[in-house]
Amino acid sequence: MILINLISLSLLYYLKKSSGAREFPEHLHRYFKYGMIAAGVLIALGIVHAPPEILFELLSFVLVGAVVYLMLNTPELSYLKTLAITPLPIIGVRLLEYVIKTLSPAIFDIVENYLDAAGVFAFIWAVTMWLNHRKQMKEIEIERIITKEQERQLRTTEEQKNQLETLVAERTKEILSQKEELQYALDHLRSTQEQLIQQEKLASLGQLTAGIAHEIKNPLNFVNNFSELSVDFLQEISEEMPKIPDSPEKENILDLLENVKSNLGKIRHHGSRADSIVRSMLMHSRGGSGTMDPTDLNALIREYSNLAFHGMRANPNPINVDIQLSLDETLPKVKLNAEDFSRVILNLLKNAFDAMRDKLATAGSDYKARVEVRTQDLGDKVLVEVEDNGPGVPDHIKDKLLMPFFTTKKGTEGTGLGLSITHDIVNSHEGTLEISTEEGKFTRFTILLPKR
Amino acid sequence: MKILVVDDERDVEDLFRQKFRKEIRNEGLELLFAFSGKEALEILEKNRPPQVATVFSDINMPGMSGLEMLGIIKDRFPKLQVSMISAYGDADNYQKAMNSGAKGFFAKPVDFDSLKKEIRDISKS
Repeated sequence: MILINLISLSLLYYLKKSSGAREFPEHLHRYFKYGMIAAGVLIALGIVHAPPEILFELLSFVLVGAVVYLMLNTPELSYLKTLAITPLPIIGVRLLEYVIKTLSPAIFDIVENYLDAAGVFAFIWAVTMWLNHRKQMKEIEIERIITKEQERQLRTTEEQKNQLETLVAERTKEILSQKEELQYALDHLRSTQEQLIQQEKLASLGQLTAGIAHEIKNPLNFVNNFSELSVDFLQEISEEMPKIPDSPEKENILDLLENVKSNLGKIRHHGSRADSIVRSMLMHSRGGSGTMDPTDLNALIREYSNLAFHGMRANPNPINVDIQLSLDETLPKVKLNAEDFSRVILNLLKNAFDAMRDKLATAGSDYKARVEVRTQDLGDKVLVEVEDNGPGVPDHIKDKLLMPFFTTKKGTEGTGLGLSITHDIVNSHEGTLEISTEEGKFTRFTILLPKR
Repeated sequence: MKILVVDDERDVEDLFRQKFRKEIRNEGLELLFAFSGKEALEILEKNRPPQVATVFSDINMPGMSGLEMLGIIKDRFPKLQVSMISAYGDADNYQKAMNSGAKGFFAKPVDFDSLKKEIRDISKS
């Protein structure tokens, strides 16, 4: 009877041990534990032959039956089928022995030898099955290791793949940002190239202009000089004329001489007009000889607005102008070509004076000519404004103001280059020149210079 | 007093003769004209020492430039005074002329009043 319980115990022990490798549900563990306790108790009872022996024997069979049943009918333990059926013949023989012994000891004596023989076969069967089971277990174990290894490799591959993907993403991002940088550099290069071409064109145009201006200057000098001389000679002639006795012919000659004198005066006048255009053109095309130095813009404005005013007063048709300077005293020094920029101030003020002179001629006596020059520190830029309360600029010519040779000045007064030169100079300082105006009220030139 | 004017523009002769009309008629001023540096040097070579009190020369001329001519004159007739006249009144030309021994430098268009004054100064000395 101890054998049956030992079978129960060893089966349960085996189950419990193999539960380390596989995860069994909690209730199975409980079964194993209680089963082992029960088997232990039954073994102890079997050793001491405690009565009623027959009941304990029966319980032993029930226990081993339950264990085998559990092993065959639990899905988690299905892989142990071979093991479960290993002890079955032994148990069967023992059960038969037990039943026969219990029911009729007489028959037992007769069949004892057969039963012993059956027991031997059952044992052989058990050994065979046990070996079978071992083999199966080994195969399962190898399979399990292989699967595990495969899983491990799969995981490693997955990890490597992920790493590679991250790497690729990083590189792609790098390349993209480099591409963007390159694109930016390329665009910048292109626009610089365009600017260079434009500047080159302008420079060659400037050289051409300078060459033409010089070539024109020489014949123009002759025109001016000879007309001046002729006027002088005519003066001498008219001084000599009274010495000739009067006659109708003399009358005619004097009349014609007067006309010639007036014509020569006109030639001289238009000649000097052409001369001032040529000189402006030469200034226009003069290469940037001046240097950009930090300059006190307020001082420059004070000096040149004063100069412009007195220059205007010294010339024909002076007017009374109230010049207001609203200068930002906190203005830092600005990098300027002082020589060029002084021309900007002179030109803008001259322009304002001329405009206001026109208005003074037409407007009533209430009108007081006034021009205001402002500076202001705008942080990264510097503002320079020249505002007059002259006649303003009609819309349809506003766009033309900065064009070379455009002038509104009547007849022969302007060269049409003043504002164009001003615009060029502001541009060469990388600044902007804007005009805002209201007809009959004001004209305001706004210059914004970068501080750098 | 003889003055030599060198300029490739032929009308310069008329201009100078008319401008100095009074001086030529009343003060015995004599103007000689040359229309190239070479011609000017030939005129100066005729008499040694040259009978010319002073030379006024343009700088920009085809062939020999005024500055070249100035160098040659200063080499052959160191005492002869030469003044330059140029349409390019820039510092570069001025420096070159002065370094080569020019007496004066006049920018075009010529201011005849200052030219007359210069001639008067020379005739006095």
